[in-house]
Amino acid sequence: MNNAAYIQLFKLAGPEMLIALAALAVLLVDLTLMRGAPVRARRVIAVLLTGVGGFAAALYLLQVPLRAVSWGGLWAVDPLTQLVKLGLVGLAVLTAVLSLEADYTDHVGEHFALLLLATVGLMVMAGAADLVLVFLGLELTGLSLYPLVALNKAGPRATEAALKYFFFGALAAAVTLFGFSFLYGLSGTTNLAGIAAALRGRGFDPLLALAVVFSLVGFGFKVAAVPFHLWAPDAYQGAPTPVAAFIASGSKLAGFFLLGRFVALALPESGDAGRAALFTPGWVPAVAVLALASMVLGNLAALAQRDLKRLLAYSAIAHAGYLLLAVLALNGAANRPAALAALVYYAGTYALAGLGAFAVAGHVERHAGAAALNHLTGLGRRAPWLAAGLAVFLLSLAGLPPLAGFPAKFYVFAAALNTPHAGAVSLGLVVVALLLSPVGFYYYLRVLKLAFVTESEKRPAGPDAPGNSPQGGENRFGVETAVALLAAAGVLGLGLFPQWLLGPLQAAVREAGG
Amino acid sequence: MDAQLAQYIPVLILLVLAGAVSGGMLLLAHWLGKAGRRTAAKDMAYECGMVPVGGGSTRLAVKFYLVAMLFILFDIEVVFLYPWAVVFRELLREAATANLIFWAMVSFLGVLFAGYLYAWRKGALDWHEPRRAGSPAAPNRSR
Repeated sequence: MNNAAYIQLFKLAGPEMLIALAALAVLLVDLTLMRGAPVRARRVIAVLLTGVGGFAAALYLLQVPLRAVSWGGLWAVDPLTQLVKLGLVGLAVLTAVLSLEADYTDHVGEHFALLLLATVGLMVMAGAADLVLVFLGLELTGLSLYPLVALNKAGPRATEAALKYFFFGALAAAVTLFGFSFLYGLSGTTNLAGIAAALRGRGFDPLLALAVVFSLVGFGFKVAAVPFHLWAPDAYQGAPTPVAAFIASGSKLAGFFLLGRFVALALPESGDAGRAALFTPGWVPAVAVLALASMVLGNLAALAQRDLKRLLAYSAIAHAGYLLLAVLALNGAANRPAALAALVYYAGTYALAGLGAFAVAGHVERHAGAAALNHLTGLGRRAPWLAAGLAVFLLSLAGLPPLAGFPAKFYVFAAALNTPHAGAVSLGLVVVALLLSPVGFYYYLRVLKLAFVTESEKRPAGPDAPGNSPQGGENRFGVETAVALLAAAGVLGLGLFPQWLLGPLQAAVREAGG
Repeated sequence: MDAQLAQYIPVLILLVLAGAVSGGMLLLAHWLGKAGRRTAAKDMAYECGMVPVGGGSTRLAVKFYLVAMLFILFDIEVVFLYPWAVVFRELLREAATANLIFWAMVSFLGVLFAGYLYAWRKGALDWHEPRRAGSPAAPNRSR
């Protein structure tokens, strides 16, 4: 490596470096200039610095067109990764704005710095083209998010959630690293494209199947697919709501993008037609099982939830199942661009709707002490804008036509049905997904019924139920309302005009070479 | 694959031997020894054959962990600095790497320096926490 290569590296990793610099700046400014200032002022300054960093990174991503695989093949920069990074930066800034109300902690600098470092980790995940960097991104994200979950030190649930998240994450990382070492042993390289080249044309090999299944564990943990989902409901419920929103949106988007790229770049597509061909690459049955289990368990378990954040967690698991259908559709080489575009579109719109739903949950939690479903009663009257936002998000998650969830599901199912050689499996999974749709409608509409229809005429008195106090301060136009309205506008706009996002995505996928 | 796996046959032999020796010891002790007989000396915690001093769970200041972590961080810094210093002159003389060798280390040290400032301002370097004159009812909020 010489001067030129080093400067090139700085150029390619520019957005990540800007965000990392913003993290350091937030930390140091909070400790030096803002020391002793009121906590509220410190939060405002931290949000402003985060916004400046995010804006600079977004500007860099938009204005500097780069396309290269650099750093000895470790780091891929193409229009698609830049687009995903742009989305991640946007989600991080929205989360930071939500954190303006984060009155559960005095550690303002740490809160925002960890959020920004987690964003860097997500961006590394999006740009990784090598097993080493994939692992680095997964770990940087994880290690920044564990303390964020535990930040609400006074809440007993937060500690439990953080410990569960941490232990599951540590175990998943270990198993994934084990799988990566097998992949390296089989192919002799850690480069994703190199692995695919070395594995192509091999017959079924128990060691390859082991390597693939082990590698999938880490991705399954990050996206909360079913056998590795056990942390999700507790972490979503126990974590401070802005953090839960970021885990549900940013972490999901980057996780699925990374999984899609990993599958598309590193794992061979199935060869000739025939039933046995499905098992040749080893990963198709594994992903199919994950998808089926996630869809069934996520949807059915969501029925029994009494807490909005837990319900959103199980709905996230169900959506992970739908997204895995798109991953499955990456199997055929001809189908790849469409499937990858559908995957990113679904993950992006899901992230937006999830973030908005968590913003509403955060508002309810701040006013009622918890985000239990029956605290939603009468939300339509108390906070009409927020309730309207909640309706948009939940109906989009259910997949109702004018909203972004519908084209997302449509493109994913279409991509899954077009998969060559996997007709029967994909058809079966799509049928299961369609059969489970009414179940999803039921539990989403149950929430909306509580928010809009159910009258809260018997107002449970008591000083411990501040949410039930009369219209008092709750109708104030807070940051949660602003974020929810922004996200709702995005969900509605992308639902009416899916080409706004899908068009650039397809162009980027085509330019990136699928 | 077979040739690859064949390298690990010594490891397999070692595994079998280790299992046999340790399992054999346990079994022999079980058969030959007077299992089940308990005395005060037998129930004592085994500490290298010495008579143990104090309880098993002494309280330890959490500061030790902080210091240990900081030590590792700055130890790593030194580990990086040594090889860097060795090749520094040589690479500085060549135009192709002159900027690289300098700025690579400066950026690394910059990140570490920010961490150092953080640890300092947070009071992680003070062994004795300066007790404030006020009552414990007014805790230091920014810590």
